[in-house]
Amino acid sequence: MPEITLAAEVGRTTGSSATRRLRAEGKIPGVLYGHGIDPVPLAVDARAFRTAMSGEAGLNTLLSLEVEGRSHLTLARDIQRHPVRNTVAHIDFQIVRRDEVITAEVPVVLVGEPVEVNHGDGIVDQLLFTLSVKARPSDIPSSVDLDISSLTIGSSLHVSDIALAAGVEVDIDPDTPVVSGIPPRVQTAGEEGAAAEGEATSGSAEAQASEH
Amino acid sequence: MLMPRKVKHRKQQRGRMTGQAKGGTTVAFGDFGIQALEPGWLTARQIEASRIAMTRHVRRGGKVWIRVFPDRPVTKKPAETRMGSGKGNPELWVAVVKPGRVLFELAGVDQQLAKEAMERAIQKLPFKARFVVRPGTHGAPEVEI
Repeated sequence: MPEITLAAEVGRTTGSSATRRLRAEGKIPGVLYGHGIDPVPLAVDARAFRTAMSGEAGLNTLLSLEVEGRSHLTLARDIQRHPVRNTVAHIDFQIVRRDEVITAEVPVVLVGEPVEVNHGDGIVDQLLFTLSVKARPSDIPSSVDLDISSLTIGSSLHVSDIALAAGVEVDIDPDTPVVSGIPPRVQTAGEEGAAAEGEATSGSAEAQASEH
Repeated sequence: MLMPRKVKHRKQQRGRMTGQAKGGTTVAFGDFGIQALEPGWLTARQIEASRIAMTRHVRRGGKVWIRVFPDRPVTKKPAETRMGSGKGNPELWVAVVKPGRVLFELAGVDQQLAKEAMERAIQKLPFKARFVVRPGTHGAPEVEI
């Protein structure tokens, strides 16, 4: 996995007002920690960070963070986002070593056509969107593929069905379901009637929620 | 309609709705969602109306998640009643919604159909809301600045 160089400024003032001004300048506040160093508050350019994260490796991109003339190999561990704007509000950079095994969340991509589910008008219900894997930083895959062409209605595919590259291990129970085929949802006349009845009787039902 | 099975206290004070949602701000179960952009009370009736609007447009297929629950009782005094004589009777149930909260999620349909269905559901809501896509899927960027 290629690493991307990202310049970071240190010595930012902490606190909500200073951080708000920093964000208005187009920078993202963050912190650098790991491997015994004291946590360092820093800031990175928002556009440069977005470019770095838009590569093939996504959020697991290895970053070579330039801090005060020194270069640290890091991963963006925790990305906090604004609840409405969805912009990045804060980043945790964790220092990693090339030879240590680390845990990372990798997106699960469904490939293939679930022929039997489609013929039965069923729904492919994805239960697990990211997979926790253990690997060396350079071995972390950008995504893991799961072939769903053998999926049928009523069956599930599990973590153990995902083919992983050498040097990559799963960090969760292999029996965890990833995707399942569920029967079609058809709104019946009975369901419609029940909904209408529920609306009609709701006034009295609400008043009946008793104190316990 | 959604309502608590039993409650510890039948009547509550109204409270305030300052700030933004603290949790439940990302699409967690499905592929698409409706995100609130303003604060407000969402009644059980409005939740049900939105759900019906969405599922009727999708017709077949699709799975819907409702991410809010109306657990707050709202009281009302009867019409033409003089002031005083205590607090009114519980009349409806609401969910307190703050900006950023994901209200509904949908999976199992394509993006165009999901957007149409969710825009119909948004019409039933008492505040501004928008259609959102899970980041990193369907062309949505992983990082926004």
